[in-house]
Amino acid sequence: MPTLTVNGRRVTVDSDATLLDAARAAGVEVPTLCQFDGLEPWGGCRLCVVDMSQANWDDDWFKVVTACNHPVEEGMTVVTDSERIIETRRVVLDLLLARCPDTPLIQRLALEYGIERTSYTPNPEPDDCILCGLCTRVCDHIGVSAISSINRGWGREIAPPFNEPPPDCIGCLACAEICPTDCIPYETSNARREIWGKEFEMLRDPKTGEAVITKEQAQHFAERSGVPVTYFETSDRSKRREMAKTFEKLQVVK
Amino acid sequence: MRIESLDQFEALKAQSLENEANRKQQVLVCCGTGCLASGSKKVAEAFADEIAKRSMDATVDLFVKSTGCHGFCERGPLVVLNPQGILYTKVKPGRVEEIVEKTLVGGEVIPGLLYKDPVSGERVEQYGEVPFYRHQVRVAMRNIGRVDPTDILDAISQGAYSGVAKALFEMTPHEVIGEVATSGQRGRGGAGFNTARKWQACKDAPGERCYVLCNGDEGDPGAFKDRSIMEGDPHSVIEGMIIGAYAVRTNEGFIYVRDEYPLAVVNLTIAIREARKYGLLGENIMGSGFDFDIKISRGGGAFVCGESSALMRSLEGKTGEPRAKYVHSTDKGLFDLPTVLNNVETWAGIGAIIDRGGAWFASMGTERSKGTKAFSLVGKVKNTGLIELPMGTTLRHIIYDIGGGILKDRPFKAVQTGGPSGGCVPEELLDLPVDYEELTEAGSMMGSGGMIVMDDRTCMVDVSRFFLAFLEEESCGKCTPCREGLKQMLHVYDRIIADKGIDGDIELIEKLAAGMQLGSLCELGKSAPNPVLSTLRYFRSEYEAHISDHACPAGVCRELTAFEIIEDECDGCHLCFKACPVDAITGVVKELHLIDHEACISCGACLDVCPTDSIRTFPKHEGARFNNV
Amino acid sequence: MAETLCSDLSKAEEILERYPPEEPALIQVLQDVHRAYNYLPCDVLERVAEALDVPLAKVFSVSTFYKAFSLEPQGDTIVKVCTGTACHIRGAGQLVEELERQLGVGPDETTEDFKFTIKTVNCVGACAMAPLVIVGEQYFGSAKPAKVSKYLAEGCADEN
Repeated sequence: MPTLTVNGRRVTVDSDATLLDAARAAGVEVPTLCQFDGLEPWGGCRLCVVDMSQANWDDDWFKVVTACNHPVEEGMTVVTDSERIIETRRVVLDLLLARCPDTPLIQRLALEYGIERTSYTPNPEPDDCILCGLCTRVCDHIGVSAISSINRGWGREIAPPFNEPPPDCIGCLACAEICPTDCIPYETSNARREIWGKEFEMLRDPKTGEAVITKEQAQHFAERSGVPVTYFETSDRSKRREMAKTFEKLQVVK
Repeated sequence: MRIESLDQFEALKAQSLENEANRKQQVLVCCGTGCLASGSKKVAEAFADEIAKRSMDATVDLFVKSTGCHGFCERGPLVVLNPQGILYTKVKPGRVEEIVEKTLVGGEVIPGLLYKDPVSGERVEQYGEVPFYRHQVRVAMRNIGRVDPTDILDAISQGAYSGVAKALFEMTPHEVIGEVATSGQRGRGGAGFNTARKWQACKDAPGERCYVLCNGDEGDPGAFKDRSIMEGDPHSVIEGMIIGAYAVRTNEGFIYVRDEYPLAVVNLTIAIREARKYGLLGENIMGSGFDFDIKISRGGGAFVCGESSALMRSLEGKTGEPRAKYVHSTDKGLFDLPTVLNNVETWAGIGAIIDRGGAWFASMGTERSKGTKAFSLVGKVKNTGLIELPMGTTLRHIIYDIGGGILKDRPFKAVQTGGPSGGCVPEELLDLPVDYEELTEAGSMMGSGGMIVMDDRTCMVDVSRFFLAFLEEESCGKCTPCREGLKQMLHVYDRIIADKGIDGDIELIEKLAAGMQLGSLCELGKSAPNPVLSTLRYFRSEYEAHISDHACPAGVCRELTAFEIIEDECDGCHLCFKACPVDAITGVVKELHLIDHEACISCGACLDVCPTDSIRTFPKHEGARFNNV
Repeated sequence: MAETLCSDLSKAEEILERYPPEEPALIQVLQDVHRAYNYLPCDVLERVAEALDVPLAKVFSVSTFYKAFSLEPQGDTIVKVCTGTACHIRGAGQLVEELERQLGVGPDETTEDFKFTIKTVNCVGACAMAPLVIVGEQYFGSAKPAKVSKYLAEGCADEN
């Protein structure tokens, strides 16, 4: 279990921890955009940069690294608020504000770093996508990969194949839920679910008739878990009711 | 016929050498991409026709060999006659009959086909005496121009695979790495990492399997050394990789060739096929018990795939997005296995290092940069082409003694080295010895060896903009500082060049540059500000002229520049009239010509062709001093 | 697919037989497909995704990332102008402009009669012959705007 210092505070963390884990354990806040607990770190937004010095380096020799994916090592020194780190984060947010000038999350973060208006040329046709990649990464993570990033450079976008309703999408809405700027539109109601232009058939609870889950999502989970599809089409409410019926048989111990 | 023992290899080599010795005359026709573009294929065919016409024996009397790039592309098609050692330049198919008749049969030299030294005006007969070649020390390119890349026996007779024989039969893997360590060879792709250290790291990494890779994704615009090696001497690359694979103990290798080099793919494919046929690749190489084979993988057209982790992703069938560099490729690279990735030129040098010894290689070069380096000398220089020289040679020597000086004798302005990750070196640093650290300290970088010479008709703001536009197109888009930063920096430059620059633009550029250097994920983004910062360091006044004086001192930026013809100097030769793409020039032969400023698009084509230097540029916002239409 | 394509899939099947059915083969397969069809038709891409067991979204991502690939049908002859550094300072821009003037289309565009597609390439490695125009498979070094029509004629003739 390595021990290191973050902004002067010593912490001991698991050997497979990242600098971000160490910072959090030390009670130090490091801003992030493309990081999400449970997903492999990506290192794309560059907001979580910190200054790091290894144990065997000269005391004043630091390197700028991203905290979300850099592994910890015994004796490391981490500084999260040096002048050049703050300035680098400022440049990142200033640039993001140029791309997404109307996006509340970015406006708020930029303001925290003293930026009210971008120093650069604002995007003439802005949307809220900050290209953090969380949507495609969560979709890959659950084994679907229905959407991906297309093109490269500034023209990079998140899109379904051929910009058509994605054949592999299971309508789980994970991408929309994880998006930090809520920029993936969808519709879901008892009647229908639609996302990325694709309509989904909802499986309904046999007892109550309420829409529970899409057929594709149920099948996807059933295949991977070995649990029958019928389990997934029962709504949580129905499951709780079934469970409650068994409580009658329970004896309360006094 | 598979070579199954060292003796068999030596015998084959001796036989090939004897075949060559038996040839009375040899004609080497350069068939690299450059000379092919000038029609050298027809020249080779013309020689073949002559042989048939004269009923000569094509294997003994006159042997025609198509070789790889001699490097002197602008003087092509190039033909070398042996044993005379004569170099003929700009050879057209129509002159082949004369060459055979006069020189090969009659023993007479044709002066008009000889290289003419631009400085002394003299004709040089011997290939080895031409200044372009005389100063070179060719190690990685040792056989290019001497062997037929599609003939493995020819390559063997010139020394190919002798290094493999020595490594496999006389050395242990440990000793091989030791020899490479003695040589001090550093990666020739640009980063300059010590080759032996890289191999050792891979060898030490835990696990059973690893890979050796060749980075043939030469993307730096202006560099073409790797292309010439892959096309002209593919066996040198294969040989190096066999030795490297033996050293780190692997049986699998890949050569990643960029999509834009079709001839390289063809020649490498032929070479691999031949090597397998002769038992120099595949199982039990030369009967040594060592197995190794190579696959070729083609790039999809992405500069970023020259970056090692992006290249590996591309080999895995994915988009070329680099990965964070905390995990070294020698621990987890291709398919998450330990991988050695080296540049084409690096591999090409290994065979020679093993054959002649690391100490020999280390005897050349500087203290920190050993051996020789290939450079592509291009741009506004008289002798453009590919050269290989000991490290430590000065820029002045390269540009003036080998390059012959600036085209049209215009003033030298800067030499750009290191491609889009490099910088511009100005006149006051011309005596800089070329070495990894020296170039970095000067604000530039070795890179893959591209040297682009610029004259006074080059605008440094425009050059920086060029590199930014290049990188902006090539950025993978994963990380914010590079993806957004390049676009935004380009916006600022476009404003400056269009006469819309404002106070504070330079400071904005510098702030953004710092953010990109520190924040970007990979070297593409991190080093993208280099051309910007180096031009600001040495040519800041040019930026200020654009912003504050509304002028482009070099007369390049079209929004800021107008052209005029000086009355007293124009002799009415009419060349500008013909060159103008929008018919903005009026005039009759022998009389003063005039530029119509309404129609003129400021492209500069007229100035470039004017033989009397009568066309000048002036800032657009000032009125013309001379003629107006 | 929106434009219900009906490509001849037999060419694709032939190509797929030459490679192991896995992701690392993707880019090589796409290059062969591109050469066979002169672009990447979407129904062929669906077949490739299936055959190599790669999600369609990833195939699409790779197809749009690399410059070698076009998802739109291209002209019979591709005209490339190298815009590397050496070519740039030796006037590559003027060549592109002249081509635009003559063919009426710009980089990455195809003429209406589908005869030509213009592309700019970031360095073909023939820097000592700058600037360069490549028509089909033919290279024209030290190219001049005044000779562009000659290059177009010769480059086409070469293909027939």
